[in-house]
Amino acid sequence: MNVISDGLVPLLDVTVVVCLLAGLLVGTFVGLFPGITGSMAVALAAGFTLTLEPVQGLAVLLTIYVGANYGDRIPSILVNTPGTPAAIATTLDGYPMAKQGKAGLALVASSFVTTAGILVSMAVFLVAARPIAQFALEFGPSEMFALVVFGLTVMISISSKSILKGVIAGIVGLAIATVGRDPVTGDERFVFGVNELNSGLPFIAVIIGLFGIAELFDQLVTHREHLVRPISSLGRWWPNRREIRQMGKPFALGSVIGTFVGIVPAAGGDIAGLIGWDRAKRMSKEPEKFGKGSLEGLTAADTSSSATLGGSLTTTMALGIPGDSVMAVMIGSMVIWGLQPGPSLFSNSPDLVITIAAIMIIATLLSLLISLVRMRGMVRLLDLPQHYLWAGILVFCAVGTYTTTNSMYTVWVMLASGVVGLVMKRTGFPAGPVVLGLLLGPLAEANLRRALLIDGPASLVTQPISAVLLVLALVGLATPLVARVRASRRREPRAEEAHVTSGRGR
Amino acid sequence: MNRRSTHLLTAGAALAVTALTLSACSGGEGTGDGGGDAAYPSEDITLIVQAAAGGGSDLTSRALANELEPILDTSIVVENRPGASGSTAMQYVADQEPDGYTIGFVPVEIAMLGHQNFDVDPADYDFLGQIMLAPGVLVVPADSPYETLDDFVQAAQSQELSVANSGAGSIWEAAALGLADETGAQLTPVPFDGGAPALAAAVGGQVDAAVAGSGEVSAAVAEDQVRALAIFHSERHPDLPDTPTAAEEGYELEFGGWGGIYAPAGLPDDVRSTLESSIEEAATSDGFVETVTASGALPVYKSSSEFTEFVSSEYERFGQILGNG
Repeated sequence: MNVISDGLVPLLDVTVVVCLLAGLLVGTFVGLFPGITGSMAVALAAGFTLTLEPVQGLAVLLTIYVGANYGDRIPSILVNTPGTPAAIATTLDGYPMAKQGKAGLALVASSFVTTAGILVSMAVFLVAARPIAQFALEFGPSEMFALVVFGLTVMISISSKSILKGVIAGIVGLAIATVGRDPVTGDERFVFGVNELNSGLPFIAVIIGLFGIAELFDQLVTHREHLVRPISSLGRWWPNRREIRQMGKPFALGSVIGTFVGIVPAAGGDIAGLIGWDRAKRMSKEPEKFGKGSLEGLTAADTSSSATLGGSLTTTMALGIPGDSVMAVMIGSMVIWGLQPGPSLFSNSPDLVITIAAIMIIATLLSLLISLVRMRGMVRLLDLPQHYLWAGILVFCAVGTYTTTNSMYTVWVMLASGVVGLVMKRTGFPAGPVVLGLLLGPLAEANLRRALLIDGPASLVTQPISAVLLVLALVGLATPLVARVRASRRREPRAEEAHVTSGRGR
Repeated sequence: MNRRSTHLLTAGAALAVTALTLSACSGGEGTGDGGGDAAYPSEDITLIVQAAAGGGSDLTSRALANELEPILDTSIVVENRPGASGSTAMQYVADQEPDGYTIGFVPVEIAMLGHQNFDVDPADYDFLGQIMLAPGVLVVPADSPYETLDDFVQAAQSQELSVANSGAGSIWEAAALGLADETGAQLTPVPFDGGAPALAAAVGGQVDAAVAGSGEVSAAVAEDQVRALAIFHSERHPDLPDTPTAAEEGYELEFGGWGGIYAPAGLPDDVRSTLESSIEEAATSDGFVETVTASGALPVYKSSSEFTEFVSSEYERFGQILGNG
């Protein structure tokens, strides 16, 4: 008990409370601003917090980390633009829900499952951090490769309308992911003398372009009086009893997947959200609604991407190995404060572990509160005349993207991706698989190459974890194909029709 | 005017204004004439960092900027221009006016990138002083059979051993290559995406060894997650008192992730001497030394002339190691 009170007492300080609130404010705005990610904000804030006391500094940094996970859902749901990569999967069902006039429900449900996801993963952190963290050490290059391949099978699910077009889009994503320096030999690939291309296409600029800017261009070009205004009201806020019951299964699934993916070093909310969404779809009674405004889909995506927070924290604090990019910055700051994350943190300073957990939990609850309070503000925002709103979003996206490298190059990439996205939309090619390929391609390649360098090809199938994951990936790939073939045999004519109308459902 | 064109117009206008504003920001030329009229420095100085916010280079740069501000009595704006192994920032710095209002943090890669097909040449810069050094350390998993550097090298003469590093073309990859060159050992460098994952691979036993900076490994060594066989530096590191230097083990090898401050070549003499003395004062100040030490690196200062000479000798050395000598 002593340890718990020792851990909680430092939080009663007024300055710590001020730090918490400051972090919360920054985190929310950062999430809201497409392009600016949690890791960027934490990194920049880390420059200022070094002069603070450790507890104050942790209060600022951890709340930014948490707060960004709420803010980023808002642009995903309202304008189809992920505020940070962790909210990519939120767009899949969040935006369709908003288009159906259920933006309020989507925002509220998202806030609650995000909260619950973080709390579940924090419970795991408190109860079993040390034994579970050992699992992270099992994840070498071959395991990581297998996990990423497993993630790539999500491609099939997110291209529900036409598997062929989805797979083509995915392959294009994988292909453009090869631009840049070879991860092992450092040779130039498809750089064409453009120095910026040495580090590959800027991922954040591409996702904002393909999702948000493409949507915006689409709205600008097609706007007609008689078309329904995309999102003019929030609709009702609270889920009814039936919907709450619906959310149960995807939530349970999402928290397990999210915590697990969070523990794996270098895999974060973006991958977890997509895998969670995919698994929930496969286990759902209504998989056909996924991607068209399914509350289950939104629940699974947001739970699993937020549950990575506790998982990452577990790996970071119990092993001293960063669980994600934010945690890498966090370790840097903690070291300067003289706090070394790692196995002995739990035995030498259990009170600090309690303090960290308490900050995370308080930040989570406060974020939930803020996200409910600001719902009224959302209503006002949507009352703005559409042309101001769109222009505003465009400016926000341009500025946010610019800040990632401080150069116009990324803004041009964003706009070009927007045009490409618009063309894809009009021709019925989904953007999701491209992003998936771009996100996972480099991870798959680099880890495969590392595994081959270390042990040769055999290790991929002889290591138990990677073998299991690869088998799961194969199963994941085969089942929807088999199901689809069966379904089309059963009702040939209707399947034909579905293909013809596979463009965007309006 | 119909509604549709209103929308297009508003959005177009907003975007055009934003693009212009951002272009002005990114151009950097808008900082005024900078030369001559008033005593240097009369306006803000921009310090370009080649890595994203939050990394070691960024932290060191910001700590130095904090100390430089009162000395130069002006604001130092730290600007991150990450990308392309740091060459984006290096090329940017080379393209700026040599007026002392654009300086930058220069990492060891300046001596390596030119040998790796990047358009980076140390001759394009004035080197104003070295401010830190993070020596490389060779670590092996805690249950590794190799107890000393010699054990390791001997073993690697009859079988191939994998050595994790922080990335393709990184200083730690070069260190593994250099060790192999020097000893005839068969080492396979395995590049990871940063120092932390490389170290994690050694902790988890997925590789036979890893080379990483002193700051990155000291905690894992203290926790017995890995064993440090040798440090590639002329003397032992205060955070790793039990780790012998490579020279003590019979291999005269030094590899370090050093960093300093540079500017585009051709600074006016008065500006240059003001910067040199201010950087010396900042780099040896208590505040800066404390931050660098806490991060596990060494607060090594070299004057402008020593540093310039050091950079060119490193440039030649890496030319040989990287095979373009």
